[in-house]
Amino acid sequence: MIEALRKKAEELLRSKTVDVIYGYGEGSTPERTRPVFITKPEDVNKLTWNKYCVYNLTTYLKRQEARKLGKPAIVVKGCDAKTIIVLIKESQIKREDVYILGVTCNGVGEPQATKCKACDIHTPRIYDELIGEKIENKEISFEERYAEIEEYEKLSEKDKWEFWQKQFAKCIKCYACSSICPLCFCDRCIVDKNQPQWIDPSAHPRGNLSWNVTRAYHLAGRCINCEECQRVCPADIPLNLLNKKLAKETEKNFKYRAGYNIDDELAMATYKEDDNQDFIK
Amino acid sequence: MSKKIGVFVCHCGTNISATVDVEKVAEEAKKKNPGVTYTTTHKYMCSDPGQKLLRDKIKEEGLTGIVVAACSPKMHERTFRNAAIKTGLNPYHVEISNIREQCSWVHKDKAVGTTKSIDLVRMMTEKTRKDKSLKPIKVHVTKRALVIGGGIAGIQAALDIADGGNEVILVEREASIGGHMAQLSETFPTLDCSQCIMTPKMVEVAQHENIKLYTWSEIEAVGGYLGNFDIKIRKKARSVDLDLCTGCSSCWQVCPSKKIKSEFDMGLGNRTAIYVPFPQAIPSKPVIDRENCLLFKDARKKNIPPNDSKVCRKCIDACPIAPVKAIDYSQEDEIVEEKVGAIVVATGYRELEDGLYGEYGGGKYKDVITGLQFERLASASGPTDGMIKRPSDGKEPEIIVFIQCVGSRDPSKGCSYCSKTCCMYTAKHTMLYKHKVHHGHAYVFYIDIRCAGKSYEEFAQRAIEEEGATYLRGRVSRVYQKGDKLVVLGADTLTGSVVEIEAEMVVLASAMKAQDDAGEFARKLSIQYDKDMFFSEIHPKLKPVESSSAGIFLAGTCQGPKDIPEAVAQAGAAASKVLALLSSDELEREPVVARVDRQLPPVFSTCIGCFYCQKVCPYSAIEQEDIKARDGSVIKTVARVNEGLCQGCGLCAATCRSKSIELAGFNDEQIYAEINAVEFN
Repeated sequence: MIEALRKKAEELLRSKTVDVIYGYGEGSTPERTRPVFITKPEDVNKLTWNKYCVYNLTTYLKRQEARKLGKPAIVVKGCDAKTIIVLIKESQIKREDVYILGVTCNGVGEPQATKCKACDIHTPRIYDELIGEKIENKEISFEERYAEIEEYEKLSEKDKWEFWQKQFAKCIKCYACSSICPLCFCDRCIVDKNQPQWIDPSAHPRGNLSWNVTRAYHLAGRCINCEECQRVCPADIPLNLLNKKLAKETEKNFKYRAGYNIDDELAMATYKEDDNQDFIK
Repeated sequence: MSKKIGVFVCHCGTNISATVDVEKVAEEAKKKNPGVTYTTTHKYMCSDPGQKLLRDKIKEEGLTGIVVAACSPKMHERTFRNAAIKTGLNPYHVEISNIREQCSWVHKDKAVGTTKSIDLVRMMTEKTRKDKSLKPIKVHVTKRALVIGGGIAGIQAALDIADGGNEVILVEREASIGGHMAQLSETFPTLDCSQCIMTPKMVEVAQHENIKLYTWSEIEAVGGYLGNFDIKIRKKARSVDLDLCTGCSSCWQVCPSKKIKSEFDMGLGNRTAIYVPFPQAIPSKPVIDRENCLLFKDARKKNIPPNDSKVCRKCIDACPIAPVKAIDYSQEDEIVEEKVGAIVVATGYRELEDGLYGEYGGGKYKDVITGLQFERLASASGPTDGMIKRPSDGKEPEIIVFIQCVGSRDPSKGCSYCSKTCCMYTAKHTMLYKHKVHHGHAYVFYIDIRCAGKSYEEFAQRAIEEEGATYLRGRVSRVYQKGDKLVVLGADTLTGSVVEIEAEMVVLASAMKAQDDAGEFARKLSIQYDKDMFFSEIHPKLKPVESSSAGIFLAGTCQGPKDIPEAVAQAGAAASKVLALLSSDELEREPVVARVDRQLPPVFSTCIGCFYCQKVCPYSAIEQEDIKARDGSVIKTVARVNEGLCQGCGLCAATCRSKSIELAGFNDEQIYAEINAVEFN
């Protein structure tokens, strides 16, 4: 698989189909990988693929430093490919401006990442070139997909409130969650707006609450649950609980999964007559 | 210089003062709210003395900001802003704090109401401190109007607007104008012939130099905004060239498909496949019913162009027009575009489908007919030349039963409302029947006799007292066939007895329903509709002909059941609104519109171009704008608001994640100040 990937990458660079490959490279220890940006065909051997390729490279699509390198080909797993669909739907990138090197995947991480436990996209649903044997995308039930938040949902409202107060108290406002998120792409985040200052930037309880809740809301109906925010959080706040809960509500109410089908209208920007309106009392 | 704010608290009679201590609200506003230099109360702020007080105090106290604590801004924001204009104060420094609908009416406890009012006033004071002067937006007006629907309401509106000197586009989806009124026999309460009063108006439309008529046409799309609507009209393929055709009748006389149920005769008569709906039709030129025409059927079956079919070409052969025939089988739908400044919607109603009342045999027994079918029977131009004959065997019915409220006032059938016209037309039907069948007897089952209208009650009484109709107060449970008779089982609740009548014909006073495609059509126009799919007026009392979209007015039964005089009156009212609108070259629009921010380079705008705003905007007011470098290359594509289209609803501002959109008069600073006024006090 690695060979196929390197070969395709070399071909893409030589033919000038793309200017740069965003891929995974070997890290300082065997169980680490790191992002590499290959611009020369002779460097393609730096590319690798293994179960430690946990993170979502699509976040670099929003980085000016990366975009400056020219048209990219990007290595994506099935889950990561969903991001590209959302980015296309939200006019952040044109389909023809990115070459998708889809890799088939049976799960990443050691131990396996939570997101892999209920995965139904082992083979990306959008790609230009598929690397690796095609894996059947088996269906997963709605309940299975959101099993990880079952325990959390059982909590009473009061307990939930206490839980989050405790969690958010740990936040140091480093904004790593927003920096890593491929869908947090605003040039000026709401937190940067200071006339008026909607969100207090310093790390005290009120500011922490408004930041974390706003971040989650801004991803409602958009988050593809790559879990990167949670992975990079230095305070170990289970941010994906919020994301996943909102994704579940979106799917339940509007039959929509962010990034799943490129033809689906964005749930949060579309009104349909048969939209569930039971929640409007 | 800091603002000097005046707070004017209204009693609204006792509407507010019963549950809010208005004096205390005024007192607290002065004591605690920074910037407030004057407060007072008044029994009715909206009254003349109330407004004078406001004007005087603006001058005397040198006020630069006003908070009126009163009813909803929808009621009187305009009133108080106009008062401010007279003193020279920019009207957008006047704000309403709604302490009636949002406070006094919903609270019973005076202490609670007062505390909340104090909070509401403080919030609005904080907002007012940050109010900026705004200038109205001027938009050009296209001095033409569109009238949709060519029934009596549409015709009246079109004539009134055209007589006022403006060009009118009248669009009718059927082959002729006239609508339901053209189908009626005689009209209540004067019993004058419907066609006799209708057809001259139809002719006037056709001949009016200011009216451009599109029949057999439908509205495809409506774009633009008040004063500048862009209309796309689909001219459906008529298969007949209206310019060439003289309406000589040669074609429909030879048409072999003669057994098609006539829509105009409510299925009681037949028509041909190439047909004019009724003799007085305008235009009096035929249309080919492509569903039923042999040639088109054949072409569809063989999947060939209609012109290539040889099955039947009788009509074109009979057409005397030469060298180019007036009939054109290959005609296709055509889209035409028109620009107008205002729109009148007069799309009418439909009769409740008779099959809905299985228990009355509707749609099952031939001799159970609807009110409109009876109209056609009684009409001199109808299938029976005005004789009352049973559809089954052509016999004159000697006993006839009219059942009122079929569908109307019956939530179980989906209409909880009263159709308003049925009591009167049923009374009329009994009279017409009696005039034509002297020895016959008419029975009427009713719930109530609702004949409120000039000379209406007298008319209904005449039906009972002079024309001898037997009125029975009660519902009919069932109608069933027995031999060639129809047995009507009902109750007479006044005597408490069960009634069984062996009738020879039954007429159902079927409900008036909104058109089947009313909802879809309303969405095309961005106007609101109610639970019964009738289009909603914006204020039931004070704005009865205005739709929820500026520049779009309502007339006739598309807004709710009504009779001819009412429809005509409403059409006239809508026309007067249109005339007022078209009387000036420019319109002033509220400057409460959204704006996407622009910044200095290299940022240009904090908008990131996700275009959620464009997707959620109900008025299609958001466009994409390319910000370009000098060499023409696109640096960034961002959102931009078309001020002419924006209605200031604020959806875009709420949707924008990066807070790049602000609504003038409701900007971020103001909303923030309002929220903080509650939180910290």
